[in-house]
Amino acid sequence: MLSVGFRALFRRELLRFVRRPKNTFMPPAITNVLYFAVFGIILGGRIDEPVAGIGYILFLVPGLVVLGTISNAFENASFSIFHGRWNEYIHETLTSPLSYVEMVVAYVGASAVRGLIVGVIIAVIGRLFVPISIENGLFLVATMVVIAALFAGFGIIGGLVARDFDDLTVMNQFILRPLVFFGAVFYSLTMLPSTWQTVSLLNPMVYMVDSVRYGLLGYSDMLEIAPAAYAEFAPYASLGVLTLLTIGVIAVDVYLFKIGYGLTD
Amino acid sequence: MPPAIETTDLVKEYGDLRALQELSLTVEEGEFFGLLGPNGAGKTTFINTLVGLVRKTGGEARVFGHDVEDDYRQARDAIGLAPQEFNVDRFFPIREVLMHKAGYHGIPEEEAGERADEVLKRVGIYDKRNERFDWLSGGMKRRLLLARALVTEPNLLILDEPTAGVDVQLRHDLWELVTELNEEGTTVLLTTHYIEEAERLCDRVAIMNEGRKVTVATPDDLKTRGTDTISVRLEDAPSVTPSVGGYAHEATLEGDRLEVRVDDGGSTAPQLLNDLEAAGHEIADLEITRTSLEEIFVDLTRQDDRTTTRSDAPTNEEAAGDEGAETPAREQEGLA
Repeated sequence: MLSVGFRALFRRELLRFVRRPKNTFMPPAITNVLYFAVFGIILGGRIDEPVAGIGYILFLVPGLVVLGTISNAFENASFSIFHGRWNEYIHETLTSPLSYVEMVVAYVGASAVRGLIVGVIIAVIGRLFVPISIENGLFLVATMVVIAALFAGFGIIGGLVARDFDDLTVMNQFILRPLVFFGAVFYSLTMLPSTWQTVSLLNPMVYMVDSVRYGLLGYSDMLEIAPAAYAEFAPYASLGVLTLLTIGVIAVDVYLFKIGYGLTD
Repeated sequence: MPPAIETTDLVKEYGDLRALQELSLTVEEGEFFGLLGPNGAGKTTFINTLVGLVRKTGGEARVFGHDVEDDYRQARDAIGLAPQEFNVDRFFPIREVLMHKAGYHGIPEEEAGERADEVLKRVGIYDKRNERFDWLSGGMKRRLLLARALVTEPNLLILDEPTAGVDVQLRHDLWELVTELNEEGTTVLLTTHYIEEAERLCDRVAIMNEGRKVTVATPDDLKTRGTDTISVRLEDAPSVTPSVGGYAHEATLEGDRLEVRVDDGGSTAPQLLNDLEAAGHEIADLEITRTSLEEIFVDLTRQDDRTTTRSDAPTNEEAAGDEGAETPAREQEGLA
């Protein structure tokens, strides 16, 4: 897997966003300073603790980390693929002897790294507003890696399916953002009536935000609302399902590369 | 050694349009092979099938014995492609673009850097190594495409219209360079609209039209398939066209000038003069015009048009439209 060719493509993908911090790291940093300032301090000061012992601003941190991570992982992968298709320089990769698995893993891996870097930046910004201590470090890292890779994988599909740049915006604004905003980023599921709690469980984003919150703060809505017999395993079940989903999405990416969907005539 | 390129009954369909129609072609290792044909003939489709940018509908295609789909990694590793369109990574200086391409082909970073410098020097744009693609002139962009094709040291170099729209100096530089590469052992497949280019460079040429192979021959062989014209000026303009022998395909008289179309002007001229003198005509002067490869090309593709049935061939407009669709004009968008 770590062939010279794979490393060359992975490195190229990393350098593309690392050398453009104004386009890649500054916007989420500024947005999240605003989120923490407005939602955390100005509004948050007037909101009761969503769950006992966790102030609103601290409660926000995991959700905003997830929001930044997945949108950047998605955006990077979809943009990289689509821009390469648009200007046809993706042919440099496609006409090379890299295997389809190597191509996909390099694109997904680099995009996941961008998502994770943005996640860390947001956590650091959060730390400036409120003290944070990591409760379940290993679980947190595993979850972050999985969801970053998952959305990088979705980004590949987005980049292959898109027909113009507007399509990428539509995917981000009309699909990703609503799911995240109703994904318990800004509120706890325990604050919702039971019907809406149940409806929320259909939103995959809930499990991601909840898992990261469990890893970071040691608090999980699932522990509270899942049936008692399963509650203890709920965060691990979420991680397991997300991991399987990620593997599935990456397999779809490889298949699409293999059949040349959106890439070959 | 298996042939550099071997296709058998290669077919590519876009819906009802058949861009390649049972195309069987062999290019031997070390050859300088030309692919000629009008717009929409299927030349670019053929090339893109070999490098994996077009998925064939049927038939087989092998590069140095490697199937282009089953053994795609080996097949692609052997090919260096300089395409018609500028499809270069805009994010990086051109030296890094070349290093990336070499890297994808398994060349370690340090060696990739050396090779990038070497090919940039070879095509004459080393001074521009730290510039991005968009800042290069048209001619330099064309040179870069060639450098990118060479950086992986391919056994098969494919040049798709490499001299389209370039100035005379660059055209001659490119000719010299690819000739040198071919002499060093690289197999070259060249598509071109310029007949002179094919005549000057190629060992053999294939003429394609509407996805079919019309013929494969050496440029000299092709020229023997054409007819020559012997133009004779007579001292006194005859009132009717003089009768000439069976060697003439056609004879036309215009005033005192008689034009006779024959297979081989050089060997037929003495007999024609004898025949005219025997008939009482006095010869003032004589000129033989050889058929150019260009005329033969036009003639062959026209003949093929006439014999192609409407049901299985696209119209020229459709075919040209298809080629346009393969290589749409792209604009640089904002970079995120």
